[in-house]
Amino acid sequence: MKIHKKAQEMKLNLPKNTFNLLTKKLLSLLMAGMATVMSFAQAGTDVIAPPQEFDPSSWNWVNILICVLILLIILVIARAFDIGGLAEKITGKKVVSSHKVNAYVALIVLILGLIGVFWEINAHGKLLLLGDAASEHGESLDSMFMWTFGFTFFVFVVTEVLLFGFMFKYYYREDRKADYFFHNNKLEIIWTIVPTIVLTFLVLRGFNVWTKITQTPNDKAQEIEVFAYQFGWKARYAGEDLKMGESSYTLISGTNPLGLAVEDEAVKLKSTLTTEVAELQAKLESADDSMLVWRSALDKMEATGLSNTYVKEHKNLKEKVLDAESGAYVRLIKKDIKRKETNIKRIDAFRSKPEIFNKESYDDRVTTELVLIKNKPYMFRFRARDVIHSAYMPEFRAQMNCVPGMSTVFPFTPIKTTAEARASKGNPNFEYYLYCNKICGAAHYNMKIKITVVDSESEYKTWLAAQPKMVAPAMEALPAGADSTSVTPAIVAVK
Amino acid sequence: MSTSALHAENHTHDHHHKESFISKYVFSMDHKMISKQFLITGIIMGIVGMGMSLLFRLQLAWPDEQFGLLEMLLGKWAVDGKLDPNFYMGLVTIHGTIMVFYVLTAGLSGTFSNLLIPLQLGARDMASPFMNMLSYWFFLASSVVLLISVGVETGPASGGWTVYPPLSALEKAMPGSGLGMTLWLVAIALFIISALLGGINYISTVLNQRTKGMSMNRMPLTIWAFFFTAILGLLSFPVLLGAALFLIFDRSFGTSFYLSDIFLEGVGALENVGGSPVLYQHLFWFLGHPEVYIILMPALGITSEVISTNARKPIFGYTAMVISLMGISILSFIVWGHHMFITGMNPFLGSVFMILTLIIAVPSAVKAFNYLTTLWRGNLRYTPAMLFSIGLVSFFISGGLTGIYLGNAAMDIQLHDSYFVVAHFHLVMGSAAIFGMFAGIYHWFPRMYGRMMNNTLGYFHFWITFITAYLVFFPMHFMGLAGVPRRYYQFTLVEDFGVWMDVNKLITVSAIVAGLAQLLFLYNFFVSIFRGKKAEQNPWQSNTLEWTSPIDVRLHGNWPHELPTVYRGPYEYSRPDRESDYFPQNEEDADAPEVLHVEEKVTKKEEAVVENSVFFAAIKRVFGISR
Repeated sequence: MKIHKKAQEMKLNLPKNTFNLLTKKLLSLLMAGMATVMSFAQAGTDVIAPPQEFDPSSWNWVNILICVLILLIILVIARAFDIGGLAEKITGKKVVSSHKVNAYVALIVLILGLIGVFWEINAHGKLLLLGDAASEHGESLDSMFMWTFGFTFFVFVVTEVLLFGFMFKYYYREDRKADYFFHNNKLEIIWTIVPTIVLTFLVLRGFNVWTKITQTPNDKAQEIEVFAYQFGWKARYAGEDLKMGESSYTLISGTNPLGLAVEDEAVKLKSTLTTEVAELQAKLESADDSMLVWRSALDKMEATGLSNTYVKEHKNLKEKVLDAESGAYVRLIKKDIKRKETNIKRIDAFRSKPEIFNKESYDDRVTTELVLIKNKPYMFRFRARDVIHSAYMPEFRAQMNCVPGMSTVFPFTPIKTTAEARASKGNPNFEYYLYCNKICGAAHYNMKIKITVVDSESEYKTWLAAQPKMVAPAMEALPAGADSTSVTPAIVAVK
Repeated sequence: MSTSALHAENHTHDHHHKESFISKYVFSMDHKMISKQFLITGIIMGIVGMGMSLLFRLQLAWPDEQFGLLEMLLGKWAVDGKLDPNFYMGLVTIHGTIMVFYVLTAGLSGTFSNLLIPLQLGARDMASPFMNMLSYWFFLASSVVLLISVGVETGPASGGWTVYPPLSALEKAMPGSGLGMTLWLVAIALFIISALLGGINYISTVLNQRTKGMSMNRMPLTIWAFFFTAILGLLSFPVLLGAALFLIFDRSFGTSFYLSDIFLEGVGALENVGGSPVLYQHLFWFLGHPEVYIILMPALGITSEVISTNARKPIFGYTAMVISLMGISILSFIVWGHHMFITGMNPFLGSVFMILTLIIAVPSAVKAFNYLTTLWRGNLRYTPAMLFSIGLVSFFISGGLTGIYLGNAAMDIQLHDSYFVVAHFHLVMGSAAIFGMFAGIYHWFPRMYGRMMNNTLGYFHFWITFITAYLVFFPMHFMGLAGVPRRYYQFTLVEDFGVWMDVNKLITVSAIVAGLAQLLFLYNFFVSIFRGKKAEQNPWQSNTLEWTSPIDVRLHGNWPHELPTVYRGPYEYSRPDRESDYFPQNEEDADAPEVLHVEEKVTKKEEAVVENSVFFAAIKRVFGISR
């Protein structure tokens, strides 16, 4: 019975302890893999030497097939070693324990991993946005980054070394017995208290910086409106009156992209909407007739067999007929009319409020670029037209979501001009950008606006003067008392 | 066949009707079969989800290249072999949804909760086997609906797995917000029903069905983890259901829960006023954050069990482990705001959430240190399951540490939605939880199929996956710190991000290698089901009860005769007073000098059980639960 069992075991067994040759293969494969993979990355990140291009065309399906082949080979090797192991079992010779092999692999992975980590820090460290923040609060943020990095990196290295070190040291040996060690209050208290203290330190720092960034009111800050839409950005600067006019999403039109409270634009929009409503009404009245026309066209198409030639047209027409016959067509028109009528009512309601249509927006400048003055505090006010966007200015360590129906703010003071940044980065083409950082649709990846930080007030003023006013000066009645030439104290750069 | 198995078979013949194919394999109410169903479905969804990630990784590494394969697979979404931006978003969204919900929630927790809760507690089955079966079928229906949504004409949901409105609410904002989004919502609603049916079952089984002597403080840590996971799911999934319902109302019935002041290109100003997109985010992340722990905690539970068994050493600080699980569970409900620091939420709330978030790091740190101490001076057997568990600890540490950056509101300004976040969560909950799942599969495969998986293939699988996972996710930290935003279709249009193209290639190549390594696993898994070596009754010399139920026959009811009695905790490995290095929970202590001591202990614990049972009797009366 026993012999029989053993024989059965041999037949089915995929032995555990069969690893000697296999391991050598495994190690060489691993190292070769690591080396190639690293050489790819090294090739690209070495900025000075012309990078050894990794030619994408060489990565074609042949290569993927090669990968599959390699895998198959690994499979075959693995199976082969099972057979080898079986043979060793029959001959009764002791083979190297898989535990020992894995222990050594762990040690090698640990060493290579640590080398990889340090190499990576060396290679990519200079690309990180640390230590050269272009905004005032960014400096305290960067220093906190460094503290956190120091702490976490220390813990990371220590724990990973311990983990893999234990793996190497305490692999299974039959003559050993593990420690019956399951509890130690002192130890557990230590590693509850120590992280708590370190975290408290980090939290308090974070709390201070966060509060400072978000909750410090600054009356001297100039307000700039940043407006997000699918897929682009616009900025609005107050004009000579230094006041931003009111705005509403109901007033948005082709000529008034930000929906500013401008009388003429509102009137124009209203008349467009009224015409559209009239057109829709006409469509609604002739809905029954159109339905019959489409139906007969469809029948004709199907009867003559044209539907087979013009598949797409046929499909569209059929959908149209189905919509019409099910009443969806009429429902949609009615819905559209209702929406447009509501909009007209809302425009009228706005226009009846003189505090909104106060002409403050007439001299506002809507721009496609942001120009800031160095060392001047700004308060950015974000609006979104359609979906959530996020205004991400990594160089300034600034980010805030733009939420439809809600106005959000983020203040910061730029401290480095574009020219200075170019010099310090050694890149003459460098530009600051504001990116979209909240998934917003197909062109999300290309939704950005340039930010230029200039040195002097005069540069900024020259630029602003070149930007078109919302309402051309000929039409604009100057608000009483506004003096376009004087520089109000509020705009003088602080610090 | 052993004698016990023969007995078992006779016993089944005595007491059970012969099961038909359908009731045995399809509409099965046996928790072991249901767990296999969950596992296989989860693996299939995992193949789809991971495959999708490889497709969009190709786009990120070689944005100007044409891939014939893409056109072959995706048709009109990859004309001339170039991925469509809308479909890129769709792939990102469905990859996230599949991985988070279908693989790591249902595939992981569904599989192992089902398998282990009755077996490790010494119960014949779940408290309500029928509900358990429903739970699987709702999950399957949900998976099918989600997969169908990938094929609809306007494309799948494409607003990211968080599907923030208004993007997801307005059909005109993005093609994927049409039918694809509707199907996504249907799939998630079905999924939530499945999760709730499962969760109620797990909780009631843990509270009611423990065998004699199995007091709460003798439960294996796996069970504790599944128990807290089920509670989290039960309390948080309904909130997501509410959020999804509001979204359905906004999409179809003209309500304005999440919509306000919207002007759409090509449509005009919408009527909706007064809603708030931020409301959705609060509701979503009220589930979303506990969800992270719903994913991770079962993996941690599995790891505790596997590490202790294979280190031949008691888990260090059992009580601390349970308390930290409990702490994580409670805290996970009050930290959701750290996903929303820069959404325009009141900055004061940001400070509160920051403090709460960093508190949660303490129990996590305790767990990590306890794992390390468990390994210290152990006698470590490197089964593939053990390797994957150690890999999990490594990911849990390296991914957890970056949480300290992201939980800090001030640093989150810079890192929010950057690649740093991608690196963080792929390590700490993606890779870690997947590794927990692999550990579970390798460890309990003999329990599920009565056969062993091949160790050698397992070693290759582990080392390749472990190294490539780090190669994929570690460089992403650096991209994030350099301000590279996530969910970008390509980086070539922004000059600053161009320097990362080579890193992108490295990541993609590593991801492809990682993907291919999973073929080793699939081969090993499916071949071993039919041709693996027959397993011994207790192949890992483990203490827990699941190895006392006959392994070579499938027995609805788990134990042929009476249920096992439990005499001690689950982690009595390498006791100095014993010859063998393990001591099964159900083995009576025959050692005379120890008897007094142990008996004393047992009586004390039995008193505790009595107290417990009084408490639970009261709960049962209140909630009307009966066995």
